[in-house]
Amino acid sequence: MRKIVLPGDLVSTNPKLAGSGTYIENGRVYSKILGLLDQTETQVRIIPLKGRYIPSVGDTVIGIVREVTANGWIVDIHCPYTAFLPVQEYPNMKPDKKPNEILEIGDAIIAKVLNIDPKMKVTLTMKDKLCRPIRFGRIVAINPARVPRVIGKKGSMIKLLKGELDVQIIVGQNGLIWLNGDRRKITIAEEAIYKIEQEAHTEGLTDRITEFIKRRKENVTKA
Amino acid sequence: MLQKPKLIIDGKRLDGREFDELRPIKIEAGVLKRADGSCYLEMGRNKVVAAVYGPRELHPRHLQDPSKAVIRYRYNMAPFSVEERKRPGPDRRSIEISKVSKEAVEAIVIKELFPRSTIDIFVEVLQADAGSRTACLNAASVALVDAGVPMRGIISSVAVAKVDGVLVLDPIKEEDYYGEADIPFAFLIRNGKIESITLLQMDGRITKEELKEAIKLAKKGAMEIYKLQREAIMKKYEIEKEDIENAQ
Amino acid sequence: MHSDILVDIKKDYVLSKLRDNERIDGRAFDEFRKIEIYPNIIQKAEGSALVKIGDTQVVVGIKMQPGEPFPDTPDKGIIITNAELVPLASPTFEPGPPDENAIELARVVDRGIRHSEAVDLSELCIEEGKKVWILFIDIHALDDDGNLMDASALAAIVALMNTVVPAERFELGNDFKLPIKDIPISVTSLVVEDKFLVDPSRDELSVGDNTITITTDKNDNIVAIQKSGSYLLSEELFEEIVETSIKKAKEIRKLVTS
Repeated sequence: MRKIVLPGDLVSTNPKLAGSGTYIENGRVYSKILGLLDQTETQVRIIPLKGRYIPSVGDTVIGIVREVTANGWIVDIHCPYTAFLPVQEYPNMKPDKKPNEILEIGDAIIAKVLNIDPKMKVTLTMKDKLCRPIRFGRIVAINPARVPRVIGKKGSMIKLLKGELDVQIIVGQNGLIWLNGDRRKITIAEEAIYKIEQEAHTEGLTDRITEFIKRRKENVTKA
Repeated sequence: MLQKPKLIIDGKRLDGREFDELRPIKIEAGVLKRADGSCYLEMGRNKVVAAVYGPRELHPRHLQDPSKAVIRYRYNMAPFSVEERKRPGPDRRSIEISKVSKEAVEAIVIKELFPRSTIDIFVEVLQADAGSRTACLNAASVALVDAGVPMRGIISSVAVAKVDGVLVLDPIKEEDYYGEADIPFAFLIRNGKIESITLLQMDGRITKEELKEAIKLAKKGAMEIYKLQREAIMKKYEIEKEDIENAQ
Repeated sequence: MHSDILVDIKKDYVLSKLRDNERIDGRAFDEFRKIEIYPNIIQKAEGSALVKIGDTQVVVGIKMQPGEPFPDTPDKGIIITNAELVPLASPTFEPGPPDENAIELARVVDRGIRHSEAVDLSELCIEEGKKVWILFIDIHALDDDGNLMDASALAAIVALMNTVVPAERFELGNDFKLPIKDIPISVTSLVVEDKFLVDPSRDELSVGDNTITITTDKNDNIVAIQKSGSYLLSEELFEEIVETSIKKAKEIRKLVTS
């Protein structure tokens, strides 16, 4: 079991090993967040247990349109920075169409982070096959720090969910997840995701989730 | 003019404590749903709740700092928290406490990671009994950790008072009111060691030597509080692990 | 002004479940979330209570002090109710003086207590025309997960029920327990299309802040009504809501008296 560390805990005396979640002072490496200590020979890093989503270029995110302007849409991606989707980044945008005819305030979208400028202004794009406006299905929100666990090593956890339940799942790095498929299966997927979120830093999780899904599927077919 | 009562009787304080003894403390992390991080804390008869929101967007724009997060700290007393009902809203004392507390936190949060945003810390005093500002800072520190805010370490805070010529740790209301000096402290604690002072005020009069003694006393108290703050956070996050192990 | 995306994404889900006559947390349409009542948690106050309805949390504290009566009621005490929707309780609350929502909440809670005559104001007279007891009901929100109104009203009456008048502190005789004559209970429902959901959670309120609060006394009289939100309410639906509110208030009153 990985150890939980708090801000200020000393995690290494070798600054060369300092990885994410740490800071260096006077040649010593400290944790800067609440998280799980992950030590290897080449790196000491802290896996965060909590924290707001901070965007990175290339991230898939799910957001809600808050404002429509002449040049595009201002999108809330649940982070300290508002994101902007320029009209040019909407696929197959016809020149005679106005932005508010494509996406309205309140619409949810799956998009990708295209660029982040030094002032932390985030630009989105929807020119990617994963991206789309969300018109059906369900959006579920989890602690963004747990997203890697929901995806799993090399996508193993997500493959498990998709395989066992035959649902579409797109995971936003910002903690929002889109589910689509049969309603009861989506409900099981949602419960499984919350379970993964709760038990993220424990061992044997994949097996427990497989078990959980199998049991819930039985209940559904019995009903 | 009220007769000043004796505060030290037969070498013991009014509530029976030793000079270097803290009041009973209770800390619970993660008590609110809407906040990003939160903490409920009791220190003697002080009952406070702290909530942290952020980093989050800061409006209006002109308040944003292009290079780092802005920290905001609001210390507020509920009207029923003191003997004579307090009018709701900030008064001069609350504003001063909010300022020095904010500055204590600012020195510790790694703000450069979140330019143009704000980290909001709200602390409500539900019941007050001397040292409410120290109780609030302790709660705020736990709430910041619970919110996942990056910091250089943990803040632990406690006051020292001089009563009847004696220095005592963590004064109660009577000691604060009738004492000769009240000195609230807050320290940055890293890896189990006190590194530096992040909040310091004094109300009253003391000698240089007494001040040195007071610092020693405060550090002792702060270390004990730090242990309890750690326990409270571990308790919340370890609990998940335990539940699963028990369920197997 | 911060809006909360976590609430917004629930809107469609709430509506789609409603079409199947279900609520997202599986509750019946007339079911309250779990209610927890903790009386007397602020010992220094004259009376107090913490109430949790689901994840919504409110603390109410009662403070009393002598003061001058109003000129037109020289022999009656005075009740002043105030609500602080402090920013701690929600990402959407801003610091500052009470806004229209806080004021509305305080006034509706106040009307329920006043018109049920839960507190007999003539028992709060100290010296007619000169001195009466002023009773402050201070509502302090801690966590807004929907329906702060009912949590506040419940905390207020429970706080009053454990209030001790601090006569000794002001040298006005012995302390005495504040006599409480009734137990007003408020029931708030969210109105959506032709349906209503009792005790709406914050996620359910994402479909619109259209609510109606009905407060009743122990004899099932109605002592406060507040329609809140810009929507059109049919008479039929309103009558149903009144019936249900009376029924639910009875159940909650039992919780309080046990």
